Amino acid sequence: MPKTQRSRRSRFSSYAALLLALTLVGGLYSAFGASKVKAEDGANQSIAVKEGRQLYLQGCSTCHGLNAEGGAGGPSLIGVGSSSVIFQVSSGRMPLANAAPQAPRKKAKYGAAQTQQLAAYIQSLGGGPELPSGRLDDGDLVLGGDLFRTNCASCHNFAGRGGALTRSKYAPALTESEADEIYAAMQTGPENMPRFTDNQLTPDEKRAIVRYVRYVTQEAKQPGGAGLGQYGPVPEGLAVFLIGMGLLIVVTLWIGARA
Amino acid sequence: MTDSIRDRLKAPAGHGEQSGGGDTAQSSLTTNDFVQTDSRSSHGPEQTVPAAVPAVVPADVHPRDPKAVQRAERLVAALFLLAVVGVVGFVVSFILVPFDFGDEGFEYYTPALGFFMALALTGVGAGAVVWAKTLMVDNEVIAERHDLASDPQERAETAALIKQGYEETGLPRRSMLRNSMLLGAGALALLPLPFLKDLGKTKNLTEQMAKTGWRPGSKLLDELGRPVKLGDLEIGSVRSVFPDVPGGRRMADSAALMIRMQPELLKSPESRKDWAVDGHIVYSVICTHLGCPVKLYEQQTHHLFCPCHQSIFDATNSAKVLFGPAARNLPQLAIAVDEEGYFVAQGDFNEPVGPSYWERDDSYPDKVGT
Amino acid sequence: MAKQSPLEKGANGTAVWVDDRLGSSSFIKRSLNKVFPDHWSFMLGEIALYSFIVLLLSGTYLSLFFEGSSREVIYDGSYAPLKGIPMSAAYSSTLDISFDVRGGLFMRQIHHWAALLFMAAIVVHLARVFFTGAFRKPRELNWIIGVGLLVLGILEGFAGYSLPDDLLSGTGLRIAYSIALSIPVIGTWAAFLVFGGEFPGGAIIERLYPIHILLVPGIILALITFHMMLIWYQKHTQFAGPGRTETNVVGSRLYPAYAAKAGGFFFLVFAVMALLGGLFQINPIWLYGPYDPTQVTAGSQPDWYVGFLDGSTRLMPNWEIRTLGHTFSPNVLLPTQVLPGVLFGLMAVYPFIEQKLTGDKGYHNLLERPRDNPVRTGLGAMSITFYMVLLLAGGNDIIATIFHLSLNEITYALRAGLFILPPLAYIVTKRLCLSLQRADDDLLHHGIETGTIRRLPSGEFVEETVPLPPHYSVLLTAVDTPERRELASHLPQVEHQAAPHQPKGFFKPRGSVVEAPVPRPELESEPSVD
Repeated sequence: MPKTQRSRRSRFSSYAALLLALTLVGGLYSAFGASKVKAEDGANQSIAVKEGRQLYLQGCSTCHGLNAEGGAGGPSLIGVGSSSVIFQVSSGRMPLANAAPQAPRKKAKYGAAQTQQLAAYIQSLGGGPELPSGRLDDGDLVLGGDLFRTNCASCHNFAGRGGALTRSKYAPALTESEADEIYAAMQTGPENMPRFTDNQLTPDEKRAIVRYVRYVTQEAKQPGGAGLGQYGPVPEGLAVFLIGMGLLIVVTLWIGARA
Repeated sequence: MTDSIRDRLKAPAGHGEQSGGGDTAQSSLTTNDFVQTDSRSSHGPEQTVPAAVPAVVPADVHPRDPKAVQRAERLVAALFLLAVVGVVGFVVSFILVPFDFGDEGFEYYTPALGFFMALALTGVGAGAVVWAKTLMVDNEVIAERHDLASDPQERAETAALIKQGYEETGLPRRSMLRNSMLLGAGALALLPLPFLKDLGKTKNLTEQMAKTGWRPGSKLLDELGRPVKLGDLEIGSVRSVFPDVPGGRRMADSAALMIRMQPELLKSPESRKDWAVDGHIVYSVICTHLGCPVKLYEQQTHHLFCPCHQSIFDATNSAKVLFGPAARNLPQLAIAVDEEGYFVAQGDFNEPVGPSYWERDDSYPDKVGT
Repeated sequence: MAKQSPLEKGANGTAVWVDDRLGSSSFIKRSLNKVFPDHWSFMLGEIALYSFIVLLLSGTYLSLFFEGSSREVIYDGSYAPLKGIPMSAAYSSTLDISFDVRGGLFMRQIHHWAALLFMAAIVVHLARVFFTGAFRKPRELNWIIGVGLLVLGILEGFAGYSLPDDLLSGTGLRIAYSIALSIPVIGTWAAFLVFGGEFPGGAIIERLYPIHILLVPGIILALITFHMMLIWYQKHTQFAGPGRTETNVVGSRLYPAYAAKAGGFFFLVFAVMALLGGLFQINPIWLYGPYDPTQVTAGSQPDWYVGFLDGSTRLMPNWEIRTLGHTFSPNVLLPTQVLPGVLFGLMAVYPFIEQKLTGDKGYHNLLERPRDNPVRTGLGAMSITFYMVLLLAGGNDIIATIFHLSLNEITYALRAGLFILPPLAYIVTKRLCLSLQRADDDLLHHGIETGTIRRLPSGEFVEETVPLPPHYSVLLTAVDTPERRELASHLPQVEHQAAPHQPKGFFKPRGSVVEAPVPRPELESEPSVD
């Protein structure tokens, strides 16, 4: 073979080999490279996680540990999911102000955006339940009522006004709960509330329950007059004495008095 | 001299030295003004105890000021007319206020009816009362009470009459008559009793009490009829479960609650070792106190709590009673998992569910029912 | 004779027609002239009577729409959140009354408020009768009838609110079934017979319905009639006062003034019920949902008048005896059956207990002020305290929820309170009564303090006092205690003196200077009526 022909072919093949190698490596890397955050808008998501981490370190790490592994003041948050954060933080329960048998609802310390950031951060640590996208309160009202009475009324009362549990604990009133809180509570089972997986109550069924709770605590116009708290017969009995007998005794005093 | 002391203390009388109020006003009262002495006296004042007083007040004790009478008449008339207003308002509300469920403003329907009816009734009622108090002559009068007890003569005569009549029947002498009468009348009293028999299905009463709808191999269905699979529940979940038999969802004695907790927390006795599966444990929800559903579960304390009379059961320890008036554990349903991964009952409960009753045995062995 | 107006002619004609056939003239004359004593507290029983009338009226209307059946239907009415749900016809017809019958919800609510008011009025009336000693001879029978009305009212109310077959009242029926089960020997039989089989039995709604609308109201009506006839015949009691003795009645004639007031009061009581029925929601069964034996709501309570039994059941320790193949349940029997049995039993025979203990078997037509019988008032306060502790216990979970307290602690506290508070109440009340009696002694002794202080020449300060108005001194000296007898013996008796009509103070007598007693001529005005 002539010398020049040979060198051109070997130069070409080495370039091709290099190109092939680069393509292979690049492709393999894209296919198998670890990407922790699988969000649609990857860039925004990692910003949220970063912000969330900052908020976490400032407001939560004292009790829950620097890496959310848990500490003296609070349990581990690895795997609790963004739903837990949305429930606890938007209802104001967390950050906990002081020790109590149960974390009470109070004015939320973090706004909606910050809560989302905290949620994204905690979700990034170990996964866990997340709220589905879309509306959470547009389920079937009739189904929701039936499911509510079977699963929820025994603790939260027939109209979501809350009920007593053992030793100073209580199932809170649902009158101020937003749709995402209710959904998240069902998913995560905060404190002593049991949790309801999606295999137990499907997302549609959860949405139905949320719809019913919002309806009975917020939307529904109660026919028949003032509701007396909707705690059942106890306030009704009180009312008949205070209002009914009270008014009537005043009337008897008036009639019986001799001018 | 009918002003009260206080009235006369207020206004200085003519023979006072000062006028115009203030502390310097001199009291016009002298010691002679007082009918009695003072707080030291150990005898009462010169007052009287009216004895057998006719408390009749003459009709003209209220001099009727014609103006006042007219005012009173107008008031009564206005009250009665208020009743008309009330009825009109009631009828108008009844027809015109939105009533259909969900319509805008329908929640005002009943309050409107109540308000106007109350107005109407108050008009009539208050009108009648004001009329009686201000316009009618309402003197106090006296009526004598007569002795309630009849006089002894009367009593004696009545007693004698009864005694005589009794003797005329011949009963005192005829013991056979008397005894057979008592027997016959007593027998009659028992006539209604057989009618009670078919009031209720009392056949095999204790067996009915002891059995529920659970059978060996019954799948556990949730409240929407779906069978529960291993893996559906997470630790901390609960699920209401019902037997997979016709009508199982509605059976009052078969409802149960499945709880999932960490398996190492369960303190079941040896005889119940295989009644739970991987921390999944099922208890009857019919409270052993008075039958309310024990549906409250505290995930962290593992307490089952009955809302009716606040009995607390320990779900880790065969639903033992920790507090409250219930005297027995909740019965536990023995479960297993079939080849497809669905939960099934091993059999019926080992003991009757629900409240206690006389025929209920002292204890039941941990043997799965059939 | 003066010319008669058409009204007079008509009235005359009717009266003659009736009298020809019934001889009613003298009865009517006596009745219209009947004297009723005047005191505001005598009207409390009327509240109960008028509530019962409203119950009859509203209940009759409801019975035209209600279907007392446990037959399963699928709801297809206006209340959207329950559409398509299977439920009993009883629940469905109640929903129809509430949402598809104009005025139906209003009628339902009046009916339920009237029931609560009926029981409240009975209890307040009972307390008045008790604390004034109106149950003494010859009125013991009326007292027993009253206790019977109380018990029947409780049962009737329980039956009534169980009829709609909603989740809350159905839970109550479940409890009633279990209470029957707990009766020794015959319990299971009793429960099965009443309910038609093992719970739910399928028959209880159908049976409660005629019991609630026919049987028990009939008995109550008969007892009320008997109750009123006894008052009519024996004449009402009265407080002591001027001219009031054990052998007369002083007050207003029935016709026209008293009848006008009583009739007006009926409308006013009705008005209060209409107000409650319209403005305050009660028993919102659409929120409870239809009864399902596998569902329950937090805060399950019966209506208030059954609440004391719920409380006793909650406080009871869990004593049960399981031996010889049988189970005996004091934890259920004691609070649900023995306690009310003893309570109402003691209540019914109390007049006889008091007679035995005081040895007082005389007639009493004059009432006592509560302070003038410290033992009885103390016993009453003790019973009320006991009852209130039980009532509070019945709502212990509502208290825990609203005030964020520990349910367990509340239960322990009330258990202790049940035994500690009543004796305390007795002691405190008795002391209070004795103090009030001493205050009365002082009034009688010294008269009313005017607040004017006088300095005597010796340097001593004394307070000026004014004599008690006659109606007060009569009231106070009517009390038969040694101190009063002593005081009365010092007061000079005068022939008689008409008591001038004076405004009375409510808590203390309002004093005024009274003319020196002057014997007045015999008043010729109203002849005493028989």
